[in-house]
Parts: sequence; C-alpha cells; structure tokens
Amino acid sequence: MEKLLLVDMDKCTGCKQCSLACSLIKEDLFDLARGRIKVLKKEDIALGVQLLCEQCDAHPCIDACSDGALSRDEATGIITVDAEICTECGSCVEACPYYGIRLHPETNIPMICDLCGGDPYCAKHCVPGAISWVDKTDDLLRDKKKLRSARMAMYRTVKKEAEK
Amino acid sequence: MYGHQGKILHVDLSKNKIWTEDIPEEWRKLYVGSRGINAKLLWDYCKDPTITWDDPRNIIIYAPGAVTGTTAPASGRTSVTTVGCTTGMYLKSNTGGHWGAELKYAGYDHLVVHGVSDKPVYILIDDDKVEIKDASRLWGKDIIETDTLLKEWHGEDSRGLYIGPAGENLVRAASIHCSLYHAAGRGGGAAVMGKKKLKAVSVRGTKPIRVKDPKKFAEVAEEMRELLRADSGAQGLHEFGTAGSLAGVNELHAFPGRNWQTGYTENVHPITGPALNEGGYLKRRVACFGCTIGCHRYSTIEKGPNAGIASGGPEYETFGALGNGPGIIDTEGVLILNEICNRLGLDTITAGTVTQWAIESYLRGVLTKEDTDGLELDWGKLEEVKKTIEKIAFRDGKLGDLLADGLKIATEKVGHDSYKWAIINAKGLEQSNVETRSAKAYALAFAVNPRGNDHLMTETFAEFGSSPEAIEVIEKITGDKKWASPHFTEYRAEIVRWHEDVYEITEALGFCVFTSTAAYGVNPDNMARLYTAATGIEMTEDELMLTGRRVCTIEKAFNVTRGATRAHDNLPWRLMNEGAASGPLKGETNSQEELDGMLDKYYDLHEWDKETSWPTRATLEKLDLKYIADYLDELGKLP
Repeated sequence: MEKLLLVDMDKCTGCKQCSLACSLIKEDLFDLARGRIKVLKKEDIALGVQLLCEQCDAHPCIDACSDGALSRDEATGIITVDAEICTECGSCVEACPYYGIRLHPETNIPMICDLCGGDPYCAKHCVPGAISWVDKTDDLLRDKKKLRSARMAMYRTVKKEAEK
Repeated sequence: MYGHQGKILHVDLSKNKIWTEDIPEEWRKLYVGSRGINAKLLWDYCKDPTITWDDPRNIIIYAPGAVTGTTAPASGRTSVTTVGCTTGMYLKSNTGGHWGAELKYAGYDHLVVHGVSDKPVYILIDDDKVEIKDASRLWGKDIIETDTLLKEWHGEDSRGLYIGPAGENLVRAASIHCSLYHAAGRGGGAAVMGKKKLKAVSVRGTKPIRVKDPKKFAEVAEEMRELLRADSGAQGLHEFGTAGSLAGVNELHAFPGRNWQTGYTENVHPITGPALNEGGYLKRRVACFGCTIGCHRYSTIEKGPNAGIASGGPEYETFGALGNGPGIIDTEGVLILNEICNRLGLDTITAGTVTQWAIESYLRGVLTKEDTDGLELDWGKLEEVKKTIEKIAFRDGKLGDLLADGLKIATEKVGHDSYKWAIINAKGLEQSNVETRSAKAYALAFAVNPRGNDHLMTETFAEFGSSPEAIEVIEKITGDKKWASPHFTEYRAEIVRWHEDVYEITEALGFCVFTSTAAYGVNPDNMARLYTAATGIEMTEDELMLTGRRVCTIEKAFNVTRGATRAHDNLPWRLMNEGAASGPLKGETNSQEELDGMLDKYYDLHEWDKETSWPTRATLEKLDLKYIADYLDELGKLP
C-alpha cells in the first residue's frame, strides 16, 4: 500500500532526533546541518517547525535548476540530485515553497529528503508521533496538506517577526 | 576522536587568557565524561580547602556528556561543577536544554572558567573562535531579555546559558539558566558566575560528532528508545510532566505543605500536572536536546486578569515549593511565581523553601513586621509570596537581604531556634520537596548527598515500586520484590548505593536521569554497550558502574577537604524530630537512630570509615585514587 509522511508541528517537542537520525543514516555521523529534515526551533515559545521536501506536485525546484540536475520519480515524487551536473548554485533552495532544501555544509550539493527509499528513518525516532509514516488514504492526504499549511504559516510568521 | 570531541576549553577571566587542552585518554576510562571528568578537574584545581566559592581560584565547569549530540535518547544534558556557595562544598548541578549539545558541536566537551573579571563579561564561542566580550549591556537584564539580546547579536541558532539579576546579586537561591527555561538550579552556581562577573555563555557550533561504530551505536540507541517508549514512567512524564505524580504523592500524605507541617492537602488538583492540561494552560510539551520523552512544559495564561504570563514549567518541585509549601493552591498563582523565578534567575525550590521559613518565622513572632519590610506574611497569600521572592532576587530591604543568603546563614543571624523549622541539613542546602520521613531510601540518599539534601545526586524513586519497571529494579538490587516499599529501612543502603553509581554514569554519558532512575529504558548494561560503540573504549557494565563509584568517592573526598564529617550526613531538624502530620505514617520521623543504622551500612558498602565517614586509603587506592589519598593524608584527613 502507498504510504505518506505525516508531519505535525503541534506534536513536535523540538528535540531534533529526526535531524540527528537523518544525518546518521545518510552520513554515519551526527550533524544537524546534514539532516535532510530541519527543525526550526524557537526557544522562547518552545516551538519546533519541521522543514523537509514534501514531494509536492508542483516541484518548482526542478524548473529552477537551469542545468537539469534535478529529476523526479513520478511514482513516489522523490527528487534526486545528480551531483555531477549540479553547480551548487542554490536555485532549488530558493525555489522550494516549503523551505525543504538545504546545501550540504561540505559539498554544497542540495540535500533533499528521499523518504529513505520508502522507510523513513526519522519517523522511527519520533516517539511523540510528530512524524509518522502511515498508509495513504484520502483523509490522511488531506490531513497531511493541512498540517503542512499550518507549518508554513507558522514558519512565515516566525521569519517575519525575526525581520522586524 | 569518537564520542567525545576530545577538547577542554579553558577561559581565564582574570588573565584574559583562552586555551584548549586534550582530554587525557586515561580520563575517558576512569571518569567517562561530564560529571565524572568535572569531578577530576575540580579536584585538581580546587582541592585546597582555602579556595572558597568566592575565591578567584574557584573554577566553574560546564560539560555535556560523552554521548551528547547523538541519537542516544535524552542524552543532551550538561553538568555544571564548582565549589558551591550555598554549602561551601562540592556542587554539581545539571541542566537540560540545548546549550550543551551546541558546546559539543563547537568542538568542546568541557568549558572551564577560571578567575574573576573586574567588569561584566560574557563568553562567546563560535567553533574555534572564542572571545571574552563586554557584558555591560546585559548586566541587570533578566533571563528573557538576556537571551533575546544574545540571539539578536549572535543569531537565532545560537544557544545561551546565563544568570539573571539574582545571580548578579550573589543570591544563594540563584540558578544558572540554559535555553531560557532550563536550569542548573540548585546550590547557587549562579552566584559563582555572579562573583566572576560572568553573565552568559553564548555558543554556536558546526562540528559533527562521530562515533566509533555507527551501526552498533544505532542498535543500542534504538534499544533504549524502544524501552523508554514502552515505559509507563516515561509515558506519564510526557503526558503530564514531572507534576503528573503529585496527586498520588498527596494521597500518600507525602506532599510537603506549609513548611513540612502538612503532608496532605484537600483539593490539591489545581497544583498538579493534569490541572495544566485541563485548564488549557499547557501550550506545548517540550524536550531537551535529543530527548524522546519530552517531560518539559511550556505554559501560558491566555485569559483573565493574568493573561500574558508564559514560561517553561511549572515542574513538580515548583508546584511544591511555591504552591503547596506556601499554601498557594492555585494554578495561576504558581504559574505567576514560576514565571518570576524564570525571569529573575531563581531556583524555585530554594526560593520557595526560604519563603516558607520566613512565613513560619513571622507567624511565630521570630521575624517582626520590621524584619519583613512591612509584609504581613501568612500561608496562602500570593501577593506576599510574590513580593518576597522579588526581594530575594534583588536583596531588597531587610527581608530580601536576610533570605538571599539562604537558611544556613539566615538561621544563624536570626537565632531563636529558627533552625528547627529551617528545612536544611548540616550542609545547608534547602531540601527539595520529598517527604523523607515516609521514604527511607530517599532519607538516606538526601543525608549523604555531597551537595546537600535533595534528590539530584541520586534518585531512589524505584523504592516506591510504582511501576513494573521500578519493582524489577528493586528486585535486581535486593533479590526480592517485597522491598519495593519506601517504609522499610532494610536494604535502603543497597538501594542508595546502586542508584548513586547509576545516577553518576547516567550524567557522565549525558543522559537525563529520568531515563534510568524514573523510567528505566537506560540501564548500566546498555549504557556500557553504548559507550563502547561510541568511543571504541572497551567497557563492561561492572567497569562502568565502578567509574560511578569512583566519581562519587572523589565528590565525597572533596567535601572531606572542606571539613565534612559524619555529622554532615543528616536531615533537617524538623524531619528528624517532629512526626509526619497525617496518613499511614503519622508520627514517623527520620530519627538519628534510624538514620545511623542506614548510614553504618552505607559507609560499609562504600568501604569508608564509619566513625568519620571518610574514605580510607585502601578504598581510594582500589579506585585508582591514590592521589586523593595522598592529599587527604597531608591534610590529616585519612581515617
């Protein structure tokens, strides 16, 4: 059965296990900057907002890459970066409407969540249930989008406040 | 380097000097990390008993654990070690939050601050770039204002550790705050920072942490995570926070009220964890770095006359010391007091305990209206409690100045047998809110605690047998489940000894003690396996437990240099001499006789001398602590 990743800001305790788990499974070490998922933490209001690739239908990152380094698996929506072609320009980072792409701190190649090929390692680490890997239903797909909208709204509010 | 980053960062505020030192390989085997290596460092720099808390030679050490910064669940904690100002003896205090992990990502396992500055400063750490910066714009600012400015200057991703006005004013109830609402609260470490004129340490780090065997490490971390996920204690902590257990404690008539004159409160609900959830005050459940439990709360008042109050907590201890203690049986009342303490940088336990002593002293006529600057103190008066704690933080007026020095000094100044209702033991720290008269392992643990009588050098919660996991722990220690009851004095020394070592190694690795002594997903066996996977250093469960015993012995020896004897291992006069007010153990005390029986056994298990309580040369040498034996010998303090 098809699955989807539910990411709920309200259940996030801001612990960052997800980013740590990601950096461990991808690179065998612990570095928050290498997590394909980032938790934007706002300590004063105890907020954690998870940011990652949403495998979205619009995928503007692909169009933004003038070199054609990004490709998309039509079945899963997973975006892959061809490191040979990538010029490390960061256009995809700018284009992502979900703030889900970051450049690798050493190689500068974009890091994009690939759902660990269908078994997301971060979800296993999220004990409070803020990230869960569930069977896809129409209702849950709607929930996923609702949760995502809430995260994006909060992210933009936090960023706007920071700019004041 | 694997597990550890391998570096100790030294900053000397007197000489304006900054340097790093490699952690000796031997220390990683003997003392493991954090609290353990801190103990070794404090011994090396400050063993000379002429070094008092306010001496420029006193150092203060901050250290995340050997596995902090990894997926090991709830391993993001930091130990802070110094000569404490409340007791004048050994002080280790431990904090959650996200600062410690950041220090480790900056490349350091320990930060050691030496000397004193002549003007306010803060330390700025950005990986290899370390500076002592002018803090004149931070001095006088509260915790929230300080954090806001530091983030404005050094980025939203920087992490801060700081003191508030209370620490600047050298108040013994002052706490070191970390990531805003977390604190190394007890023992007055913040006053040591205040004396050094060190307002804050801001850290940003980008260096990865590597482990020797990532696959094995992930396996053990997963084992811990899954055990904690299933643990009823951990689930309760997430759902209701540390205050979740208060209703149950009250049912046992073990919830101290009115300066330990009551143990049971009618209609206690407003000052329990569920009241936060049901009243709509709980805004978020919050975790320290890497913690899968998430016991911390962020609570707000959104409606009514108190709208706008928002802060971390309140915790179990705060509902006790600032709620049930002074008779504030009111959720919003405690939220307000908690918020003030979190802004001014006050330890809610000490602030509440000294306030309760002041109320009782006033009611007894020992303190007059002149002594209280006109405050008519009584139980249940929120405004008066609020004013009292604000006075403490600023040493304002006669009352503020008296209480700011803590009960050890205040009772000496006031006289009139006021020590009899001061809830401190001979070491002088205000007791945390545990009814030791009806929990005998806690009583022993509090009495022998090197930093004074509280639950944060070892926690023997298992003796209550309140979860299947806890009962199993008691069975493992004593051989029989039936000893999982806090009313027995039998086997309490064994229970304390086991927990002392477990608690120490838990903190040395950077774990939260809730993982191993309140919930039980982290244990000596899996910690040893994890430590080996992280560092590549071979370590069995027994060897790791021995490092715990070794560090506890250093901490004890440190106090021996400061004059500690068996007489310091006692409990507050009231608890030793006045019976519990109600409940199944009505009339029960922590009598000297009862305590003596447990102490004899405890010293025997440690192989310390029973008469003096001092470690013997043979014991010290067996623990690879010959250098300590030699020094104690010089001081004439070997039994």
